[in-house]
Amino acid sequence: MIRFDEVSKRYAGGHQALKQVSFELDQGAMVFLTGRSGAGKSTLLKLIMLTERPDQGQIVVGARNILRLSAQQIPLYRRRIGVVFQDHQLLFDRSVFDNVMLPLRIDAYDKHEAARRVRAALDKVGLLSKEKMNPITLSGGEQQRVGIARAVVNRPQILLADEPTGNLDPELAAEIMLLFEQFNQVGVSMLIASHDLSLITRLRHRILTLDQGSLINDEVHPSRRDSQSHGSGR
Amino acid sequence: MSNSTRTSPGKNTARSQTGAKRGRSAKQRISGWIEQHIDACADALQRVWTQPLNSMMSLMVVAIALLLPALVYVAGKNMAQFGGSLQNTHRISFYLQPGTSPEQAQALQALMTDHPLVDRVEFISSQQAAADFANWSGLGDVIDSFGDNPLPASLEAHPVDMATDTALQIRDAFASDTAIFQVVMDVAWIERLDSLMQLTDRMVLALILVLSLAVLFIIGNTVRTHIAGRDAEIRVMTLIGATRAFISRPFLYNGALQGLLGAALAWLLLLALLQLLAQPAQALLAFYGDEYVFTGLDLRASLFMLAGGLLLGWMGAALSLSRHLNKP
Repeated sequence: MIRFDEVSKRYAGGHQALKQVSFELDQGAMVFLTGRSGAGKSTLLKLIMLTERPDQGQIVVGARNILRLSAQQIPLYRRRIGVVFQDHQLLFDRSVFDNVMLPLRIDAYDKHEAARRVRAALDKVGLLSKEKMNPITLSGGEQQRVGIARAVVNRPQILLADEPTGNLDPELAAEIMLLFEQFNQVGVSMLIASHDLSLITRLRHRILTLDQGSLINDEVHPSRRDSQSHGSGR
Repeated sequence: MSNSTRTSPGKNTARSQTGAKRGRSAKQRISGWIEQHIDACADALQRVWTQPLNSMMSLMVVAIALLLPALVYVAGKNMAQFGGSLQNTHRISFYLQPGTSPEQAQALQALMTDHPLVDRVEFISSQQAAADFANWSGLGDVIDSFGDNPLPASLEAHPVDMATDTALQIRDAFASDTAIFQVVMDVAWIERLDSLMQLTDRMVLALILVLSLAVLFIIGNTVRTHIAGRDAEIRVMTLIGATRAFISRPFLYNGALQGLLGAALAWLLLLALLQLLAQPAQALLAFYGDEYVFTGLDLRASLFMLAGGLLLGWMGAALSLSRHLNKP
């Protein structure tokens, strides 16, 4: 579903964010991306979103070399990928319903079909009763769930999440991860960046570890003992 | 109604499975697209509505900028009436010495008619001149009160063309004839009017150009503040796959709406001003004859003004978007 071939990225200031990173993510996989702050997690996600471009290497998403997409194709490509941000990026000038509606408005859904899908997505994250509220009145966990509803409302094949639990307490974080697992079970491929090792090792999925831009570890179902060696990541 | 799926080349089987869920009928797609435009229009209207004071002030500036050329245009159009009617009266009047005999006058008329630059010559007797004057001015009683008709007979020469040079040559050819005591030619004042007309035409054009630029920048600036105020929204929309066209649309509609409303306001202001000017202007025109009627802005110019406002607003917004919307 996603393949990186020797991808390197150096920012204009000279900071080497990624060094020859290669990995492959299968259709329907759920993979965590971990590492210290500045290890290159966000950069890797930005490269998939095409908000940044690599200096070297190839990135293939869904059998397509995304680096060859034209400026007109990029928006259409992004619509097939759901993104959850650490700071949820909700718009406070409109209701929860209208926030989740945004991707469907962009994709020119008609109102009837769109409303049905928005309610289905809100129902899935347990916020159907709050559709008319302004997201600013919701708790941090609820806001993040609205962000997730917005990311999945268009039924993307891939869901990316950048520190989705970064601002949440452990209990809420676990709830969010449970939600992600549910989406994964219906076939959505997931790539979740998180430095919360105690949480993600408990979930027993594949973990990619970045350190100073290099992929240093790629483990499937890591044991508890391994996780402690990276435990100082926070 | 077929429930067609959107399949693009290069889709693998796994994708077309999820693709099937995304399938929407053509009807749904079209109504979705129309709704996008309605949304953008509603959004544009709402931006004007929610900041009435700001909007009103910038609309007022736009209106004044559009009003000025329209006013000059109306003034010019009313002045053009004179130009039109005076061109037909391009003639040289040779006033004859009192006591010139009809035979002498006829001989002179024949001589003038033979001149290659003269088209035709009319003889106006002093009686006819008095009747014309009474008719034209309504002051027949004044002539009557003189007892003797004070108006001289005259020969009116019509040149073959409208060139000032032609008229001057005809004048010079006969001015020294002993039977003639005065030559009157409208050339100078026709020329002055002509150049005045050209000047107003140019002024309207220059005003339209300069003030269009002003409108462009006023609306561009208002749209720029809208763009800055919606920075977060634009960023999020770009990340979740909005096209530049989609993001630009409400701003373009907003600019066009501002232009249109500004033009409509200018049109109303012009209407009020013309109402104020109509009476004295008509009174002034009446001095020059009944055929002169004060005219306001015609339908074509009104539509031109509204369409111009709309287009300028759209362009102002486009200009602002090209400078302030970050590339995706």
